[in-house]
Amino acid sequence: MTRPRKNPRTERAAHRVEGGARPRFDLAATAKETGRPRRDPRGEERLALVPGTARRRLDRTQRIAATAISQAPAPSAEAAPTVRIIAEPAYLVAVVPDASGGRLTPHDRQLLGAARILADAGGGAVLALAEADDLASAGADRVLALPVAGYDPEAKALAVQAILAGLDIRHALFPESPDGGDLARRLAAMTGEELFAGAESLSPKAVTRAAQGRRIEQRRAPPRLISIKADAVAAHSGARHEARPVEFGFPAIALGAILSADFIPADPAKVSLAEAEFVVSAGNGVSDFNAFRALVAALNATPGASRVVCDAGLMPRAAQVGASGTVLEANCYFALGIAGAPQHLQGVARCEHVVAVNTDLHAAMIERAGLAVVADAQQVMPALLKLLDKEAGG
Amino acid sequence: MRIAVLLSAGRHAVSGRPAPVPVELQAIRLAHDLGGEVTGLHAGPDAAPLKDTLGHGLPRLVHHRITVADDPLPSLAAALIEGAFDLVLAGRTGQGGEDTGLLPYALARQLSLPLVPDAAALAEGPQSGTLSVEQALPRGARRRLVVHVPALVTVHPAAPAALPFAFAAARRGAVEARPGLVAPRAPTQIEERPYRARPKLIAKAAAGASAAERLKAATEAASGGGRLLVDPLPEEAAREILTHLRDIGVLRSR
Ligand SMILES: Cc1cc2nc3c(=O)[nH]c(=O)nc-3n(C[C@H](O)[C@H](O)[C@H](O)COP(=O)(O)OP(=O)(O)OC[C@H]3O[C@@H](n4cnc5c(N)ncnc54)[C@H](O)[C@@H]3O)c2cc1C
Ligand SMILES: Nc1ncnc2c1ncn2[C@@H]1O[C@H](COP(=O)(O)O)[C@@H](O)[C@H]1O
Repeated sequence: MTRPRKNPRTERAAHRVEGGARPRFDLAATAKETGRPRRDPRGEERLALVPGTARRRLDRTQRIAATAISQAPAPSAEAAPTVRIIAEPAYLVAVVPDASGGRLTPHDRQLLGAARILADAGGGAVLALAEADDLASAGADRVLALPVAGYDPEAKALAVQAILAGLDIRHALFPESPDGGDLARRLAAMTGEELFAGAESLSPKAVTRAAQGRRIEQRRAPPRLISIKADAVAAHSGARHEARPVEFGFPAIALGAILSADFIPADPAKVSLAEAEFVVSAGNGVSDFNAFRALVAALNATPGASRVVCDAGLMPRAAQVGASGTVLEANCYFALGIAGAPQHLQGVARCEHVVAVNTDLHAAMIERAGLAVVADAQQVMPALLKLLDKEAGG
Repeated sequence: MRIAVLLSAGRHAVSGRPAPVPVELQAIRLAHDLGGEVTGLHAGPDAAPLKDTLGHGLPRLVHHRITVADDPLPSLAAALIEGAFDLVLAGRTGQGGEDTGLLPYALARQLSLPLVPDAAALAEGPQSGTLSVEQALPRGARRRLVVHVPALVTVHPAAPAALPFAFAAARRGAVEARPGLVAPRAPTQIEERPYRARPKLIAKAAAGASAAERLKAATEAASGGGRLLVDPLPEEAAREILTHLRDIGVLRSR
């Protein structure tokens, strides 16, 4: 699309043969390129033209076209990741992530980011007290799993107390989540130490929190026990850390007072859209709503819809996702035949994973998605149902 | 069953005027539905703002008078030992005080009671002398726990709504004032200043960021463009989608 910019004067000067009274030119000599290459606006426009649409449409970002050509992501970029090793830490900063199911939540990553701030201020290392994949890239130097099975917060608190007493731990950070906040408070009651609960900002010099119904801000130097609210500190984004497992001799821990604990998963059909974990949503590209409802039930998800579908009365208004509907907190959003208008995408902004099926390669939803499939939703839905059926049967 | 509900002096979330804390009113409802003798306990300088709790289904409130500079913990601990309650209910966090939610934990430790956090529903346990607690987890999930009574349970806002206010019940209810224990608070290093909303560090998740920022955060791809399949066979697309959903852990394999 670009070709070299031609400058006849410099070309002429380059062909010119030195010496002699009359000017002589050697046309075989090649002129060296000068300056910026010349743009070809028509060629650029031809490339940006979206094929297969009735109206003339240009997509100037060219991101999609580029990824479409290079199908598989090149693994060469992460061939040699640099690992930062802190061999002799001056102290440890312990982190107790929730890591439910061996997976770090965004809140856990922010917690590790906060721990890195406190550790890097004085040559310390971060000790993660949980087993999860990805601890290295989240910024953990040492990993130590707690010997607690099932739901037993009292035993977990005793294990963390043993670590606080046995290792040189300057700070211990907890997420201000239901389980993390509970553990932090148990530990504070157990050790009699002060807990700075629900910190909203953190630096090596000071932590702050809101009190008295957000009328007062409390502030002090970081104490040993701190619990941190979600979205208060940025996650670690620098080099990987080694996440080396360490050994620790835990004392024998008596069982807690809880006689039995059963997990009751939320009923996805009843849970409100704002609380849902996994939302499957239909847009104007879906015409087979029986297949859509069957798919939602088969995937054990909560149904959602775009505004066009709700306006048409095909789905209830309570199912509308977006700026004038519900803003989701879901972990995963599966969009079928949704274009991805800004009003709709605002509702999906907090979803970590997006999967999109759309016939239009240049839809904004395709660009937003972690897995984008350019296909007809009416054919993908039955195929998904058939596959799920086969798996359940076999 | 003898049940104590711990009531703190709260402030209204919007007006800032003294008012009962909503989650503690929900605790009164849970105690009321469980049946038995329900007593409210408050330690503080003034019980006047808590008069309204009597209208929400609390027959009796015991007020332990202490000064503002005193720690309520010893007074409440003494009252709970004296009352020999089977069950103690508290709010998840207060509203208008320190709002740390630490008091129930310190109290449970001092009385050596088991503590169960975040209850959304209570019922008699399978054996006598046990209590079944439905614990509220994020995203609408629940966890059913069985504990021996006596126990201390904190109540989550997902519990059923408080009983409606009834004027006659508020007039009928009695407030009993008793002297509390003098226990000056330990000095802390905490500095206080008026609350200042700070810019959220993570614009992606910020609810209060400017419209342009939110739009940018909403519309740009989460992870710099993901995998793209152009015109695959429907079966291939279905397989890819299912493996992706399993990889990110949203699809529980059955
Ligand atoms: C003030 C205001 C507030 C709004 N609030 C919201 C809101 O809260 N929520 C909301 O959703 N919208 C909202 N909207 C509307 C929004 O602007 C869009 O109009 C709407 O989101 C578009 O819905 P859609 O993507 O389903 O439909 P369309 O824009 O019609 O897109 C349909 C998509 O489906 C694809 N498609 C077509 N056929 C197929 C097929 N067979 N298989 C697969 N894909 C196919 C098309 O390529 C297209 O991308 C609001 C608008 C305004 C003005
Ligand atoms: N002074 C008090 N008197 C009685 N109960 C209290 C008092 N302070 C706190 N509580 C209880 O402890 C819970 C948590 O309070 P806090 O630790 O202040 O967030 C409240 O919801 C109340 O149930």
